[in-house]
Amino acid sequence: MPTIKVSLSDISSIAGVELTLDKLREVIEVLKGEVEEVEGGYVSIELNYDRPDLFSAEGLGRAIGVYLGSRGLPRYSVNGPATRLDLSKAPSYRPYAYMAIVRNVELSDEAIRQLFQLQEVLHRDYGGDRRLVSIGLYDLDTLKPPFGYIAVKEATYRPLDYREEMTLTEVLEATEKGRAYSSLVKPGEYPLLVDSEGRVLSFPPILNSEDTKVTESTRNILIDVTGIEPELMKRVLNVMVTSVAERSRNPVIESVEAVRPGYSEVTPRLDWVRVEVKLSDIEGLLGVKVNPDVVVNLLGRMGYEASCNGEVVEAQAPPYRIDVHDAVDVIEDVAIGLGYGNIEPSLPPPTHFGAKHPVEVLSNLVRELLVGMGLQEVVNFNLISDEAMVKAGFQDFVKLKNPKIRDYSALRSSLIPSLLLTAKVNQRLVGRLEAFEVGDVIEVKGDTATTDRRVGVLLMGDGFTLTDGLSIVKSLLRYLGLDAGIRRYSGGPFINVRSVEVLVNGVSVGVVGEVDPEVLVDLGIEKPLVVGELSLGLIMGVLKGLKGSQ
Amino acid sequence: MWSMVVLPPLQYSIVKALIEANQPIDADSLAGKLGKRAEDIMRDLEELRSRGLVNLEHRPVNKVSLTSLGEAYLKNGLPEERLLSHLRSIGGRAKVGELARLTGLSDEEFAAALGRLRRLNAISLTGDSVTLTGVEEGLRAYVNELKGLLAGIRGEVEYPGELPSIVEEARRRGLVKVRQVRRVLASPTQGLMELYRSGELSSARVITSLTSADLASGAWRGGVFKEFDLTVEVPLRPIRRRHPFTQFLDHVRDELVAMGFEEVKDNHVDAALWNFDVLLVPQYHPARRETDVFYVENRLKPSEAPGDVMGRASGEHRAVWGYGWSGEEALRILLRTHTTLVTIRQIYLRGRGEYRLFSLDRVYRPDTPDPTHFMEFHQLEGIIVGRGVTFRNLLGFFTELAKRLGLGRVYFKPAYFPFTEPSVEGYVKHPRLGQLEVFPGGMFRPEVLRVVGLDRDYKVAAWGVGIDRLAMVVLGVDDIRTLYTNNVREVESMRGVAWVV
Repeated sequence: MPTIKVSLSDISSIAGVELTLDKLREVIEVLKGEVEEVEGGYVSIELNYDRPDLFSAEGLGRAIGVYLGSRGLPRYSVNGPATRLDLSKAPSYRPYAYMAIVRNVELSDEAIRQLFQLQEVLHRDYGGDRRLVSIGLYDLDTLKPPFGYIAVKEATYRPLDYREEMTLTEVLEATEKGRAYSSLVKPGEYPLLVDSEGRVLSFPPILNSEDTKVTESTRNILIDVTGIEPELMKRVLNVMVTSVAERSRNPVIESVEAVRPGYSEVTPRLDWVRVEVKLSDIEGLLGVKVNPDVVVNLLGRMGYEASCNGEVVEAQAPPYRIDVHDAVDVIEDVAIGLGYGNIEPSLPPPTHFGAKHPVEVLSNLVRELLVGMGLQEVVNFNLISDEAMVKAGFQDFVKLKNPKIRDYSALRSSLIPSLLLTAKVNQRLVGRLEAFEVGDVIEVKGDTATTDRRVGVLLMGDGFTLTDGLSIVKSLLRYLGLDAGIRRYSGGPFINVRSVEVLVNGVSVGVVGEVDPEVLVDLGIEKPLVVGELSLGLIMGVLKGLKGSQ
Repeated sequence: MWSMVVLPPLQYSIVKALIEANQPIDADSLAGKLGKRAEDIMRDLEELRSRGLVNLEHRPVNKVSLTSLGEAYLKNGLPEERLLSHLRSIGGRAKVGELARLTGLSDEEFAAALGRLRRLNAISLTGDSVTLTGVEEGLRAYVNELKGLLAGIRGEVEYPGELPSIVEEARRRGLVKVRQVRRVLASPTQGLMELYRSGELSSARVITSLTSADLASGAWRGGVFKEFDLTVEVPLRPIRRRHPFTQFLDHVRDELVAMGFEEVKDNHVDAALWNFDVLLVPQYHPARRETDVFYVENRLKPSEAPGDVMGRASGEHRAVWGYGWSGEEALRILLRTHTTLVTIRQIYLRGRGEYRLFSLDRVYRPDTPDPTHFMEFHQLEGIIVGRGVTFRNLLGFFTELAKRLGLGRVYFKPAYFPFTEPSVEGYVKHPRLGQLEVFPGGMFRPEVLRVVGLDRDYKVAAWGVGIDRLAMVVLGVDDIRTLYTNNVREVESMRGVAWVV
């Protein structure tokens, strides 16, 4: 979840009210945020993904002020189009770009930091780390419109925070951003934003120009979004434009026309989202009776233009509320406005019987029987190292593409490797051990992976033989009402002539055997082991078959 | 205050011996009188003391015995005596070196003897010559006292209280060794004397453990049952048992079944479609990156990827999130990151109806391990489906479940999940751990339900529970990895099943 850092005095001035930390903590809950850390006059706030309009002081202060009633909702009018953005020579693999202009801004050092933070959080959380959407801000007065978004083989400009000019190739090699994002551009077809005099604004999505950057003396800002997802880009542009506008006492927003042969689109649109909600829908979803006047009032505080017409509430969400799509989004804001604590919890009794999953019922039966035979239950992770799987003699299992730790790089396809780990963990703690695990394994057969519930048995220590293992397995099956047969088995980690396959009604449901000393030595296990494993899935199938035939 | 007191035979003979002795008597000699060893009667003495019949006094005693050096000196004379007699035999005057050779004493013994004789004024030293002074009273007295002591020791001699100075001298010279022991002195209490005088003391066989032979023979009738000692700690039995974690999870299952929920299961490994796309998590969402999801290296196919679901997912993603949805991305195979995959597919499979389902199973995320996070953990998740299901019911569910699990009151605050609206985070207040956010939930978005084919007439309250966190609290475990332990010592030390009450 995104965490942003804002200055308490900065959001206070945008909200139009002196905010104390306590007040902030209280209001931020309404916006699904949480104060994480306070340092000096700065507050770190964890926010939720759904409200990108809150990812900087501008939007956060705006929402808080509206909620507390210390300021009104902004009204936006868009003039223009003021100029053009020519897309006819845009790179084919990253073809879209839109622009907008905000005039009369006054930027403090803090304001610049906030807009930069907003840009970065949007890049990460809504721009697919710049792959889908990349954003740029420029001092309009350093530029000569109209603009062009073009693909070039090579060019030279002075990248942001650098003194000297570089070629685009050098930018990709020599700058941190260049190295981080070079995979998003193609050599021979580098994207470039330029003005009418060929001045470079930016090498998107890599790095803007030092010469066109926004400073405290900037009065008029040009914003661009470039990328591959036009709808998402326009939404992100709306969030940027409306946030920048908060830094002006008298913002003038101008649109820019993106053109290419046979196509033209004017941005930003800054349309309000109109949603109609019936009072009965609110009551139907929340389960509480609501009064239309209260709803209208609550929605006003939650940042909507709302009115009520009989049984229907009309809510208009500002253009930065890109999370509002459906009546349920408005209804949630009604619920938050009411306060979750004011909704009386109530659950009617069930109309149907509940039930445990049959495999859990069988698992418990097995656990009880094995504890009754004096075995100790242990638990292991399903994640395991692929080395442990291979050393135990297993080849087909799920391997992780991106393991975090080598010890957990696969999913077990058998409990046996887990039991060998169990032996290793306990060999110095106890003389002898009789233990079992009931757990899931993920089997890979061809191109499908399926889950099976298994029971595994482990006997560790001198004197245990296949006889002891088989005696447990056969007793277990007998107490489940099944007679087990056996046949020779070769495979797994066992001594060839001292392992068997267990059969129930002619179905092979598992194996038991003495572990090969080669395997023990390889794994660093110093005591003899007998291990066995039965498939509860298969046993359940047999039990069901028997029941059916009765 | 006293009524008839029945004692086992040995204890009876002990008190009798004590009364007859008429004075405090130590345990050793008491045992001797009874033909036993002291250690055989100590337990009985303690028991008699605890019943107020016998006084026991513990007194330290020094036991002194000869060392081999002491024995040798006693036989051959002390070095100072031997030195003096040699000096006398050669005329009462000699060079020190000459005298040393003559006496045959070791250098140390000779030096010590010479020093002692001079201090007692028996000799004088001038330069390197030694002269007899003829004054021998001091020496005599010292030698007689010391030799008298040594001669008087046969085996061990007891000295109660402080040691006399001559014993200390002998110890300093290494002629005797001293061992301190505690001696127990026993005497009858006033109460015992009274009982004895009034004839209210008797003896009978005491039964500590009834046997089948006693029952058969009727011998138990002549005995008395030994009073059980409440102060004695009994040994604890080792146990082989259920793992407390699986036991806890099963208890949770029972509670949900009682609340009318049916348990369902699904694949651990499946396509992103079921884990993310049908739930409207946009494909560019950070939660889908490789830092947040385990993807699979094997070439596997999804459990199913029905065309209608794919088509609707594509449409809803475009409408809600405004981007071009990729079918290929939706078919990437991953380890499920939540069990919402299980419940949402049940809606796809079952469609309309009134039902309550839950899933309690493992999920996987590449979290950095710490005491409260691991890459594999459990989620308890469920849905309440029906025409009249409301957000209020969801809050009611959390309240009821918390009550059943003994967690007390649940507090609610707004939250966000891409697939629910409204969304809620429920938390409880733990006396030690503070606010525990363990109850996330919400009403499934209509777009999500459309993707899996459920129309808007039906509503679904979806809830989850951070069950591992709760298990840690209930089982008194501070590290999530301990819940998944295969170490039998750790299993043994986990708290028991107190949650049942």
